[in-house]
Amino acid sequence: MRLEVRDVSVFHKNRLGIAHANFEANEGEIIGFIGADGAGKSSLIHAIAGVIACQGEIVFDHHTYRSCKEAEPLKARIGLMPQGIGLVLYDLLTVDEHLRFFADIHDLRRDDAFEAYKMRLLQMAGLEKFKDRQAGKLSGGMMQKLSLICTLLHRPKLLVLDEPTTGVDPLSRIELWEILEEIRRSEGTICLISTAYMQEAAKMDKILLFDEQKIIAQGTSAELLKTVESLCYDPDTPCVEPCIRTLQTLYTLSPLEATSTQTPTLEALFFVNALRNGKTMPPIVLSDKKKSDFEGDVLMDAKGLTKRFGTFVANDNVDICLKKGEILGLLGANGAGKTTFIKMLLGLYPIDRGELRLLGKTIETPQDRQALKASIGYVSQHFALYNDMSVQENLLYFASMRGLSSETANERIKRYAQELGFENYLNALPPELPLGINQRFSLASALLHEPVILFLDEPTSGVDAIARAQFWELLKCLKEKWKIAILITTHYMSEAEFCDRVVLMRQGTKIADDTIEGFYAKHPKARNFEEIFLEYFR
Amino acid sequence: MKLSIVKAYVLKELSEIVRSRLIVMVYLMPTMVLVLFGYGIRMEVTGARTLIIDYDQSHYSRLLIEKFTHSKYFTVQKELRLESEALDAIHRAQSDVVVIIPESFEKRLLHGQKIQIGVFVDAAFPMRGSTIESYVKGVVLNAASAIQERRLDRDAHTIAINQRTLFNQAMRDEDAIVPGLIGLVLLIAPAILAALLIVKEKEKGTIFNFYASALSKAEFIAAKLIPVFFLHSINIFILFLWATYWFDVPFRGSFWLYWVASELYLVISLSIGMLISIVTRTQIVAVVLTVIVTIIPGFLYSGILMPISSMVGFSRYEAHIFPVMYYNHILYDVFLVGEGLASEKTQFYLFILAFYGLFLMGLGSLILKKELR
Repeated sequence: MRLEVRDVSVFHKNRLGIAHANFEANEGEIIGFIGADGAGKSSLIHAIAGVIACQGEIVFDHHTYRSCKEAEPLKARIGLMPQGIGLVLYDLLTVDEHLRFFADIHDLRRDDAFEAYKMRLLQMAGLEKFKDRQAGKLSGGMMQKLSLICTLLHRPKLLVLDEPTTGVDPLSRIELWEILEEIRRSEGTICLISTAYMQEAAKMDKILLFDEQKIIAQGTSAELLKTVESLCYDPDTPCVEPCIRTLQTLYTLSPLEATSTQTPTLEALFFVNALRNGKTMPPIVLSDKKKSDFEGDVLMDAKGLTKRFGTFVANDNVDICLKKGEILGLLGANGAGKTTFIKMLLGLYPIDRGELRLLGKTIETPQDRQALKASIGYVSQHFALYNDMSVQENLLYFASMRGLSSETANERIKRYAQELGFENYLNALPPELPLGINQRFSLASALLHEPVILFLDEPTSGVDAIARAQFWELLKCLKEKWKIAILITTHYMSEAEFCDRVVLMRQGTKIADDTIEGFYAKHPKARNFEEIFLEYFR
Repeated sequence: MKLSIVKAYVLKELSEIVRSRLIVMVYLMPTMVLVLFGYGIRMEVTGARTLIIDYDQSHYSRLLIEKFTHSKYFTVQKELRLESEALDAIHRAQSDVVVIIPESFEKRLLHGQKIQIGVFVDAAFPMRGSTIESYVKGVVLNAASAIQERRLDRDAHTIAINQRTLFNQAMRDEDAIVPGLIGLVLLIAPAILAALLIVKEKEKGTIFNFYASALSKAEFIAAKLIPVFFLHSINIFILFLWATYWFDVPFRGSFWLYWVASELYLVISLSIGMLISIVTRTQIVAVVLTVIVTIIPGFLYSGILMPISSMVGFSRYEAHIFPVMYYNHILYDVFLVGEGLASEKTQFYLFILAFYGLFLMGLGSLILKKELR
């Protein structure tokens, strides 16, 4: 059993999905697809699963296909789990009904052997106690585990999973990997798995790195890291040649004489590849800003905030305070209550119980809030941009919403466009732009009225490594130069390291709140924040 | 096509329809449409508010007024003196029609001279206006012939109309409208449900289960359409009961013909829903599109508002393109006429319905693609 992908390109109407992909996979191998949103992972996955036509050819088990029709006879042996939490599940069916339904549509005989296999899968997924629960009422992690065992039910020989772990809590993520490990050992299944988490690369036999609709590198994790071994240095190393400097690392094209090399991570490959394509990261220079009127030190102080949706408690007694010039990271899995909390701070959800003080004032009525609107900036999870207006028009619109005069607005837009580096895109429409650019000009729209607090809800999810590094650099600049307080949610554990303080949330409650140094002091054995995070979830 | 697979899928669909309470819509909507429209559409005019100004105050003028008073189509309000006041009443929507009997009405009548009676009708709704107008003419003609008879001698007869209406003897609106509504409802409701069931999977993403599994196109279509077909087959009976028991519409034809034609028609409606679900991506668009595609022809070309035979030119061709016309012909036949299969036209129309259903179903399964677009 062997999979070969030969020169495969996928087009969505006229848009390129993936160009000239080549790779091979053998029985029992786990192949990882790593890259940002829109890098071409899903296109290749869909082509291999036979749900979209492609150019080139895919050979699986001596059967060649490039169209959906040609792939049809293989579908009984392929399992696809598309991207999106619980995407293939029916909210109103129970766990048991799902298994029965998937068994039936794959025309499986429900004999004793099947029942035994089903029970084994249920146990692996830890779902045997939830057999009668409707899928809509499962947590995100449980949904993904259910989707996975539904996909495994017909014992596919080729398993294609599109970001199965994105947005899933760390514990469920580990369990998902355990199931996969077990299945590939016992069934010899070829597993193709795409992910946005570099850390998962260690569990893969081979890694394909995706960037801008191309596979830019492939090999084992060790092989790949070797290629960039002498190209990563401490961020303060001096360098005159083309290089990219981020908060943590300096990436170069050729080895430097300097001695302070770093152990590279897979992210380095993206930076080095960008350098090879002649791209650099322009340094961010922010102009000075006049001092804000607010003199106090604590900008936001929430005490015992509680939010209920019916019987479901989304936030339970959450205390969080945010100081001037501080970046506070709010971490937790999907559904932990991060977004709900931010929405309460913004007044998008009424507060059920608790006290909220913003800029020293207690918020009781919508009028209190109205007065403070000018001091708060917000970037939502899905950048709230108008897709039919150009970047410039979007920004002008947000400026006039904030009551800025058109002169001030134009002047600030021009300045931000320069400083945040989206000058060349001012006349483009948001859907045409990379996610990283949209992210930056969403930030600009939140900064137009020069707020003193910034709430950012997962601004970096799906954005590529370089744009993410740039974004963090920008946030650091904002904090240092303008003394803005920033509350940011993210599910990239590595980003926690850039925050001053981190709050961990789980099922609507705060489980930890400390500075980064504090966390490392409490968990001396931890090598990175991911491991600290896991400590709290075990 | 493996029946066990289809069965599993159908069971899943049914439990989803029941658990999502969509089942309520399946059975409430047709009934609601029938009841709302059944009472809402009124073509006949009774009790038009009538103002009569009698400048003559004679024996004959009172005889004319009496004819109005005794007609169920008119409610005589009061006899005003001033023309301007009467017109004012129409303006204020307090009266529908004003009749002015001139001075020397009786005198000129007795002398055999020409007389003009003034009639003002509120024609803000043209249909209602022209109906009132023709009723007024009828009453005046009737009075004229009565006067004529009395004035000449008892034996001299003028022309008398002896009319009988067929099929809807009482000329009830219900009899004319309710069967047509069944044709409308059975076109809209199943199409919406069918479109929803497929688009729902697209919108949610569960359509991948179809794309990525060995499930064949025929199995998928069957699994989606069979539940809708059976659920709405029950509506065929429910609508029949509403029509015959609640609205007292007579049923003169064969129930079998009604049933078979309705099931064929259901297949057409399902296929329309399926075609719509192929081109749409979200449930809301699917519903709106289905409503537009089905309600307009369902109303205009069904023969509810105007008979197809009175259409000319392009509208006539359009009417023949939509399936509603053929089904409604059979409906009106089984409810009001009762000729049934003895009529060649009915046989032919039944054949057209079957062909139409097969054609749409074939087209749908041809253009439904088992791949991402």
